[in-house]
Amino acid sequence: MTLAFVGGTHRTVPLALRERLAFSAEQAAEALTRFRERFPGREGVLLSTCNRVEFYAACAEADGPPPPPDQLVSFLAECRGIDASLLTPVLAGDRDEAVVRHLFSVAAGLDSMVLGEPQIVAQVKQAWSLAQESRTSGPLTGEMFQAALRTAKRVATETAIGRERLSIPSVAVADFASGVFERFDDKRVLLIGAGKMAAETLRYLRVAGARDVLIVNRTAGRAGDLAARLGARAGRFENLSAELAAADLVVSTTGATAPVVSLELFAEVELRRAGRPLVVLDLAVPRDFDPRIGQRPGVWLYSVDDLAAACAANRKSRQRELPAALTIIDEETQRFMGDLHHRSTAPVIERLRAGWSETGDAELDRLFRRLPGLDDASRAEIRQSFDRYAAKLLHPPLASLRSESRAGSPHGLLDALKRLFDLKD
Amino acid sequence: MIEFVSGISVVCFAASYAVALACEASRLLFRSGVRGAAMIAFGVAGLVAHTLFLAWRATHEPAVPLSSAFDWYLLAAWLLAGGYLWLTIANPRTPVGLFMLPVVLGLIGAAQVSSRTPFPQSPATQIWGAIHGIFNLAASVAVAIGALAGALWLIQAGRLARKQPPLRSFRLPSLERLAHATDRTLMIAAWTAAAGFLSGIVLNAVNRQRGLLETVPWTDPVVLRMAALVAWLVTAAVAARVTRRSADGPRSAAWLSLVSFAVLTASILWGVFGTTRHGAPPVQPVVSHAVDQQAIDREAAP
Repeated sequence: MTLAFVGGTHRTVPLALRERLAFSAEQAAEALTRFRERFPGREGVLLSTCNRVEFYAACAEADGPPPPPDQLVSFLAECRGIDASLLTPVLAGDRDEAVVRHLFSVAAGLDSMVLGEPQIVAQVKQAWSLAQESRTSGPLTGEMFQAALRTAKRVATETAIGRERLSIPSVAVADFASGVFERFDDKRVLLIGAGKMAAETLRYLRVAGARDVLIVNRTAGRAGDLAARLGARAGRFENLSAELAAADLVVSTTGATAPVVSLELFAEVELRRAGRPLVVLDLAVPRDFDPRIGQRPGVWLYSVDDLAAACAANRKSRQRELPAALTIIDEETQRFMGDLHHRSTAPVIERLRAGWSETGDAELDRLFRRLPGLDDASRAEIRQSFDRYAAKLLHPPLASLRSESRAGSPHGLLDALKRLFDLKD
Repeated sequence: MIEFVSGISVVCFAASYAVALACEASRLLFRSGVRGAAMIAFGVAGLVAHTLFLAWRATHEPAVPLSSAFDWYLLAAWLLAGGYLWLTIANPRTPVGLFMLPVVLGLIGAAQVSSRTPFPQSPATQIWGAIHGIFNLAASVAVAIGALAGALWLIQAGRLARKQPPLRSFRLPSLERLAHATDRTLMIAAWTAAAGFLSGIVLNAVNRQRGLLETVPWTDPVVLRMAALVAWLVTAAVAARVTRRSADGPRSAAWLSLVSFAVLTASILWGVFGTTRHGAPPVQPVVSHAVDQQAIDREAAP
């Protein structure tokens, strides 16, 4: 065993316990330092996000095994001052190939709450960087995390698993408002209501380039506060009709129990709009805009249900990409494990080559002493022939080793080689 | 190299465009990592072969671009193929080829059934002939691009009205951009078609006045169809301008651009299969016009 991991996610660890188990960056650095002292010569990486806490441990085979999962659970409990018995039932552990497969899936966002979400890649990268800074990362975890990031990139580029947007504000802006407007920097955005969803939608609109934003709310103070926080202007709710006439895009999130904009009110507004298109993102429940307004020419009205349906379609679309992503995870895991097993044969190969080289050199020296008339060119030619001969003889066993490594650690073959060629450890 | 270039035929680039179109159409069926590259590769191959073909004709045959109906159609197809490549490289996820490549292939098809005989020209009418050809070419290309923008506007508006999120491999430009393109191309098409028609009248008048070449009667089908096309395009441009400030303006402009394309297609088909004196060589010695071949030669003399 060379790799071990233990961890829990939003699926297995209740929120209350997850909050206690989560590590800040400083706490993670302290934990890694403690790990180095407790398990010298072992490699460790701690990945802690709002949805998961996982510890990856590794050790070269010659140096003995890494701490087993149960020891890692105790270690995590100790670091966070939690009773280990609370963690044991909710944290899962695994070893070797399963560890690699899990990390690759995590990095590719396949184990995330939102399938294919891209933020996890940066979090995996940060976890590895922190381990490097804390000197708990080593060659094995280094290669495993590098391979995980490579795998995540492959999944992101070769499948569309992370491309479709899943949140209502992002779908509203990127899929619908951007379908109507080419740019937002010359558009007037009107926010009706000062809810959380309005602020979130505005964040996406800002990224898309929106600059001219006006917020109106029945409670003027709340509109003023939100406007100050988001760098927007606050308007008067009494001027709603005029502001609607001037707006290009409206985001409405009031808590009103009846429509704020009736068809009659909009009919008045429409006359003053001179045919300019209007996008309305009605994110309120109950709806703020009379749905019949959406049938007016030049009006593109989207309710929460419309956007939620689009999100659901996008989610399904991501699910359809899952088999292709899992195939990539499988390929990369096999490749990594093959390389790992092959690397474990390196000392034997080294000794085999060294033994043959020593024997060859001794034979050549004897030959050159018996043929003192040979010039340097002839000696070099003979030496090259010897080297080629040795390489050709060594090729079949080395190829067999490489081939066996793909299926797992080739212990049997290594033992046979050691006995056949009398290779000492 | 010369042998290679001289061996390029219309089939070479038409086949390349057809394969690029097939790649575009496959967007509707499945995803592929190499399709984009294949599409551009076939598009570029077609355009290069197309360019070499036109260059060869211009340098080795008395057929500079626009000098015959065949060359006129091929040049129009070449411009649209170049536009297709540019748009595809700039917007790889927008399926412009689905709309533009059939037009390119249609123009190549029209070229194949058109006369390759150069239009008769004299030095006096050469400039007017070139102006006439260029404006008509610009009008046709503008109508084709306008129809593309109009069709995409209608599809995009339909999707947005049905609250459908964009498809991954079938991303359409925004309504704002498409409406702008439709509006602009309708205007350009009207102006250039009118200029092409007027320059044709001047060309005909010069021919008639100088008695250099056979003139086209005012009742000739080409004159009538061009007049109808210009009348429609001017009407469409004015209608688009008038409805611009209404909420239904972009939709009207999209339909007007599609109808303009239908009128242009009908006009081309009429031209291809109809009989005309347009661009035809003199049917008899032009003694009746008090001019003979010597007059043309004198005109040509430096």
